[in-house]
Amino acid sequence: MNLQEKLQILANSAKYDASCSSSGSLKRRTGKIGTTAFSGICHSFSSDGRCISLLKILLTNCCIFDCKYCLNRKSNNIKRAIFSPVEICTITMNFYKRNYIEGLFLSSGIIKSPDYTMNLMIETIDLLRHKYHFGGYIHAKAIPGTSDILIKKLGHLVDRLSANIELPTASSLKLLAPNKEFKKVDRIMNYVHMNKSKKFVPAGQSTQMIIGATQETDKDIMERSETLYKKYDLKRVFYSAYIPVNKDKLLPSIITPPLKRENRLYQADWLLRFYHFTVSDILDEHHPNFNILLDPKTDWALKHLSEFPKEINTCSYKDLLKIPGVGVTSAKRIYSSRKLFTITFKDLKNMGVVLKRAKYFITCNHKYFINPIFFNKQFIESNLVLEEKELNSHNRKQLSLFE
Amino acid sequence: MKQNDVTYIYQNTFSSLLALIKILIDHKIKPMNLKNTDYNPTLLDTIIELELKDEKSFLFWQIKTSKKIINIAYYVFLSNADNKELIIYYFLLNSLKYQEKIIHMRNLKCVDKALKISAYVSHENHKFKGFTRFKELQNHILYATISPENNILPILSKHFQNRLKNENWIIKDEKRQIISIYDKKNFYLVNASNFSLNELQDCQEEKQIAALWKNFYKTISIKERKNERCRNNFMPKKYWKNMLEMSDEIEKDNK
Repeated sequence: MNLQEKLQILANSAKYDASCSSSGSLKRRTGKIGTTAFSGICHSFSSDGRCISLLKILLTNCCIFDCKYCLNRKSNNIKRAIFSPVEICTITMNFYKRNYIEGLFLSSGIIKSPDYTMNLMIETIDLLRHKYHFGGYIHAKAIPGTSDILIKKLGHLVDRLSANIELPTASSLKLLAPNKEFKKVDRIMNYVHMNKSKKFVPAGQSTQMIIGATQETDKDIMERSETLYKKYDLKRVFYSAYIPVNKDKLLPSIITPPLKRENRLYQADWLLRFYHFTVSDILDEHHPNFNILLDPKTDWALKHLSEFPKEINTCSYKDLLKIPGVGVTSAKRIYSSRKLFTITFKDLKNMGVVLKRAKYFITCNHKYFINPIFFNKQFIESNLVLEEKELNSHNRKQLSLFE
Repeated sequence: MKQNDVTYIYQNTFSSLLALIKILIDHKIKPMNLKNTDYNPTLLDTIIELELKDEKSFLFWQIKTSKKIINIAYYVFLSNADNKELIIYYFLLNSLKYQEKIIHMRNLKCVDKALKISAYVSHENHKFKGFTRFKELQNHILYATISPENNILPILSKHFQNRLKNENWIIKDEKRQIISIYDKKNFYLVNASNFSLNELQDCQEEKQIAALWKNFYKTISIKERKNERCRNNFMPKKYWKNMLEMSDEIEKDNK
């Protein structure tokens, strides 16, 4: 098998992992070639609109596991391939110096045993770091069930190390991935969290779960994320809309992946991480799923209209963050600017506030943007739903997957 | 030198512009026009070219404003914005008055403009940290062509100076006909007309590696998620022509 065909098989087998980011690493390595950028760098975008930052490949797509949703499961009759460590290094180095990529994202099917597979990955990355002197970004997937000593070794070679929880709950994992154990993934996350330092996994860990393959509500999913962020201080949870690659009676029979739902989950994820929201703020037993018509923040604001309108020139920074259409950057700008002058609607526009959403929820110097009698739920909701609809048809810019 | 309706000329460099602005402020002149030496005057223009002492004025700006403010002005200077010199003039004039606070005063038009333009330049520079594509030549020099909206080559070169520190590389801005040459120590910006690159041939394995990359690019996309509009938002078509992996799609578009 030539290199071209190998790369095709092992990139194709790796592409369903949603993670792409190359960010979070401050560490200056002493390699002869390569640097990391704290904000991450996207080198290209594929025709599905996803960022290409890393050479995302599997070491091998041979696998002893038989997870129902996975293209590489044992029972699938597909072409199998395995890279040699040197082959991976050669491609990475040649791609890197031509600036095609920001680094390597290495994952693998499980060949022989978790430890055997991890050893192959370690051998590869060790070669890349110490023989080829590669100082760029490396993200590796830890194989659940490997011994701590190997996680320790790998963690010292890479920028980011992560383990996928795959599905939002232990019962779903048992159903669809009978060979995988929830507690083994948990164990890796815990180990990485306890040992994280400037030399060990400096860019932190992330994880991903598949959305829509099992019965969980958005509330179940977000609560899982909330726990992970709190417990292990994860950098990111990635949500991957379920794409049917296999036929199985345990899998839902859908044709198109639930992309809108995925988008809402990312928006809510942002609210948890940067906007001081909790899951219980935005979802509850009576509303366990997101409103598909409106983004979670707007939806929340409409349910809590009594807290609005907020006066831009005096409300607290935390309150600024609660306003639909105001992001972290614009909230900071408002906060620093209003000490110097009284902010008007026009100034807000210059600060990057999305006025067509924000204007319903604010006053500037105690003025509402139209006659205040229109400050009521029905008026605002009907306008915003149409606004969102227009946004979707004109500009299907999905929430970006990178930090 | 009391009249305000003239065009003042500076020597195409940022420090020269800073020197000119200092003189104008010293003499309380509010200029109509600030242009570099490429400017073609009309019959109605009055042109004044002053003797500019770059180094002394640079020190003045460093002391009187801040690194952050000078940096914003520099990014505006690298932009392709109309009247960028006047924007810099008013931005710096107000910086002397408001100091560091100026950065939060978007109610001033010159501040709003300067911040937006510098963010645009910085944003484009960030994009090109990713979108620049090198190929390896027979003599192991890495060679890239870019065609950005703004004159980002001076700042982009700094990035590659760190990243590809042990390689020899050349980046050519084909829009401005400027070349950046890096010799494993420093980079030098030179005019493309002083430099002939015609005889340089690709290294032997270049074709194979390019094919691997193009294949990877096609493979990594998930067809069930196809969303070209989203791609075009993040990676505007104007940048595609220098990106190896897009060559097939450009060909398809042209047919």
